[in-house]
Amino acid sequence: MPVPSNKYDKSLRWALSLTRCATYAVLLLLSLCTLPVSAAAVADNQNYLRFGVLPLQSPTKLASMFLPVTDYLGKKLGRPVQFVTAPNFSSFMQRVARREYDLIYLNPLLYRRSRESGYRAIVKVADEPFTGILVVQKNSPIKSLSAQSLPPGTRIGFPDPDAFAATVMTRQYLQNLGIDVEQQMHVQYFGSQDSALLALHSSLVDIIGTWRPSFRSMPQAMQQSLTIIAETPPQPQMPIALVADLAPELSDKIRQVLLQMSSDSEGAGIVARLGFSRGFELASDAEYLELGE
Amino acid sequence: MSTAQKNDRIDSVSPALHRFRGLFHTLRARLIVSVALVHVVLMGMFTWEAVDRQSQELRQELIHQADSLASLMVVATTNALLAEDLASLAEVTRRVNALDDVAYGEIVDIRGYVMASTRDGRVGQKLARMRTHRDRFPLPKGDSVLDFVEAVRVGDQEAGYVMLGLSTRNLDQELAASRNQGALYIALALIIGSFVAWLLSLAVTRNLQELTVAADRIAGGDLNVRVKVRGQDETSMLARAFNSMVLSLQHSAQAIEKEHRKRTDAERLACVGEMAASIAHEIRNPLAALINAMKLLGSPGLAEDDHQEVVQIVNSESYRLQRILNEFLAFARLPEAVLTAADVTELITQTIQQVKRDPACRENIRIETRFEDVTPCLFDRDQMRQVLLNLMMNALQAISASGHLTLQVKRQGELVVVSLVDDGCGIKASLKDEVTMPFVTARKGGTGLGLSVVQRILVQHGTTLNISSEEGVGTEVSFELMIAP
Repeated sequence: MPVPSNKYDKSLRWALSLTRCATYAVLLLLSLCTLPVSAAAVADNQNYLRFGVLPLQSPTKLASMFLPVTDYLGKKLGRPVQFVTAPNFSSFMQRVARREYDLIYLNPLLYRRSRESGYRAIVKVADEPFTGILVVQKNSPIKSLSAQSLPPGTRIGFPDPDAFAATVMTRQYLQNLGIDVEQQMHVQYFGSQDSALLALHSSLVDIIGTWRPSFRSMPQAMQQSLTIIAETPPQPQMPIALVADLAPELSDKIRQVLLQMSSDSEGAGIVARLGFSRGFELASDAEYLELGE
Repeated sequence: MSTAQKNDRIDSVSPALHRFRGLFHTLRARLIVSVALVHVVLMGMFTWEAVDRQSQELRQELIHQADSLASLMVVATTNALLAEDLASLAEVTRRVNALDDVAYGEIVDIRGYVMASTRDGRVGQKLARMRTHRDRFPLPKGDSVLDFVEAVRVGDQEAGYVMLGLSTRNLDQELAASRNQGALYIALALIIGSFVAWLLSLAVTRNLQELTVAADRIAGGDLNVRVKVRGQDETSMLARAFNSMVLSLQHSAQAIEKEHRKRTDAERLACVGEMAASIAHEIRNPLAALINAMKLLGSPGLAEDDHQEVVQIVNSESYRLQRILNEFLAFARLPEAVLTAADVTELITQTIQQVKRDPACRENIRIETRFEDVTPCLFDRDQMRQVLLNLMMNALQAISASGHLTLQVKRQGELVVVSLVDDGCGIKASLKDEVTMPFVTARKGGTGLGLSVVQRILVQHGTTLNISSEEGVGTEVSFELMIAP
C-alpha cells in the first residue's frame, strides 16, 4: 500500500535527519572544546606538581636555577610543575612536614628528617663531591685553621643552622680540628648561602661556611677576592625525594626523566647551568641512613 | 483626521507659527541667534577638546600609575612569592591598599591560587579563570576599575602574577567636574554673546527702525519727514542718503505739482476754448435756420403750406438748440454723486422701458437682459440712469436697421460688472482711444458729449468705462460697481 509506505519513508528520513543533526551538534561541541584557549586557562585546569627547593640561596637565584628544571619536567611529564622555595630552612621543613611539596630538593641531613614525613629519595646529584668549604678573604690573616692559630674573637658566618654542607659539615670539620666554634668564635647566621658570602665579602665576618655550588655562582670578581682555606670530607650528595603518596607510575616517570636529563641537549644544558655536569643518578636510601648513624 | 479638520488646525496654528517665524526674519533676531550660536559652537568645541585632552592625559596617567605600581609589586613580591612568604606578600598588598585609586591588588601563584590580596577572604582561593590581559580605555559601560595584570618572571619563566585594579572614580569625577565647568562656560558664553549681540543689534537696527517709520510716513504722503543721523557707520550713511532722497523727492513733487497745475490750467483753458467753439459750431446751424425761418415768416408772399412748414422748422430747430444746451449744461455742471445701495437690474429695466419709447428704438431692434447677479450696489440713481440711457442710445444709434442689444449684470469678486453688447456698426479704430473725450463723435449731429458725461459719472463712482469694439461687428461697453456693504 503506497500511503503507509510513504509515511514510513518520511518517518525514516525524519529520524535520519535528526540523527545527522545530533552528530553535527556533538562534533561542533567537540570542536569547541578543543579550540585553543589561553595558557592561563589551561594551567587552571591542570593539577600542578609542586617542586620544593631548600632555600640554599635567594629565591630569585634559586628560581633562575630550578625554573628550567620544573619547565623541563612539566614538558616531559605532560603536567605542569611549580617551583617553590621557602623563606628559610625551618619554614621549608615545616611545609615538608605538612607534605605541601610533591618533590623536594634538600640536603642529606634534612632529607633524613623528611623521611619521617613520607619522602623518599629517588635521585641525587651525580659525580659531584658533596663537601662543605670554609672561605676567607684573600687578604685575611687566617691562612690555616687550627685551634692555636685562630685569632681570638674570630667571627664566623653560616647560612642556616640546618645547612648541611655549609654549617653542619663545616662545624663538624672545625670540631675535628679542635676548634670549639661556640667558645672560640662569634657565630652569625645569614639565612642563605649568598648572604653568607656577601657578608664575608663585606667584612661583616672573617670566615664563612658554605659549599661549592654557591661559591661558583658568585660573580667572578667576588670569587677572586675570596679564597677557600678548607674543605670537609665528602658526604652523600643532595637528593631529590618524592612524597610517598604519588602514583607509582608517576614516581617512576619522574625518576626516569631526571636520570635521563643529561642525555638530551636541553636537559644537559639545564643541569650544566645548575652546576651538575653529569646530572642526576640513582640514590640509595641506605647511604643517607648511614649518614645519620 | 479629515482634511477640513486638518485645515482648521493648520489655520489655528498658522498665525502663531507665522509670528514665531516672523521673529526670526528680523535682523536683530538673526544677529543675536548667529552670534550666540557662534559662541556656543566655538566654546563647545573648545570645551570638548579640553575635556578630551584632559581625559586622555588622566587616563594615560592612570595607566602609567598602574604600570608603575604593578612593576613595583612584581619587584617587591618576587622573592616572597617564590618562597611563598605569605606575611611578606600580605605586607606588600597592605601597603598597596593604602594608595589612592587602588581598588584591589592581588598576588597569584602560577597555579592561580591567591597568595595575598587587598580583599578579604580571597587568600587561598583558586581563581576560576586567570586574567591574561590589561584593560584598555575606554572601559566597558559600568566598569569603573582599570584591571592590570603583570607576570612575575624569573628569566623567561613565569612564577606568578600580580593583579591590580585601579578605580577610575576619581578620574571620572575630575572629568565630570571639567565637563560641568565646560557647560557653565558655554552657558556664560551664550549669555554674554547674546547680550553683546543684542547691544550690537540695537546699534545697527535703531537707524533702520527710524528709516522704516520715515518710509511709512513718506508712503502716506508726508515728504517733510527726516531721520536722525548718528555716527559715521553704514546705517548712518544710509540715513544720510535717505534724507537726501526724501529732499530730492520733495523737490520733484513740488515741481510735478507745479507742472500739473500749469497743465491743468492750460487744459482747462483749451477745454473752455474748445467748448466755446463747439457750442458756437453746434448752435450756429440751428440758429441760422431759425433766422432764415423768421425772415420767411416775415415775407408777405408766403403760402399757407409753406408757412406751416417754416413754423415746423422753427420748432424743431428751437428744440434742437435746447437739447444741445442741456447736454452742455449736463457736462459742465455735473453734480456730486450721492452713492446709495440699490438694485442696478431694476434701474436697467426701467431705463429700457424709457428707451423703448424713444423714436430711435425701432421695432426691429431687440433688447435683451441677462442678469446673473442682483446684489445691491452703490451708485447715484439719477446719474446711473443717465449713464445707462446714454450708452443704450449710442448702441441703438449704432444699429442701422435691425439688431440686438444685450445688457448683462454679473458678479466678479467684490464687484458687479454691467455690460452692454450690440451688434451695430462698431467704432472706427481711429476713434477708439478718443471716443470718451468731449466733442469727439462719429455720428452726424452728435455733440460728442454723451460718452464724456458717462466717463465723468463713472469716475465719480470710482470706476471707468471699458470699450471693446470691432468695426462692422459690434461694440461692448462695460463698467464695474462696488457691492453695497
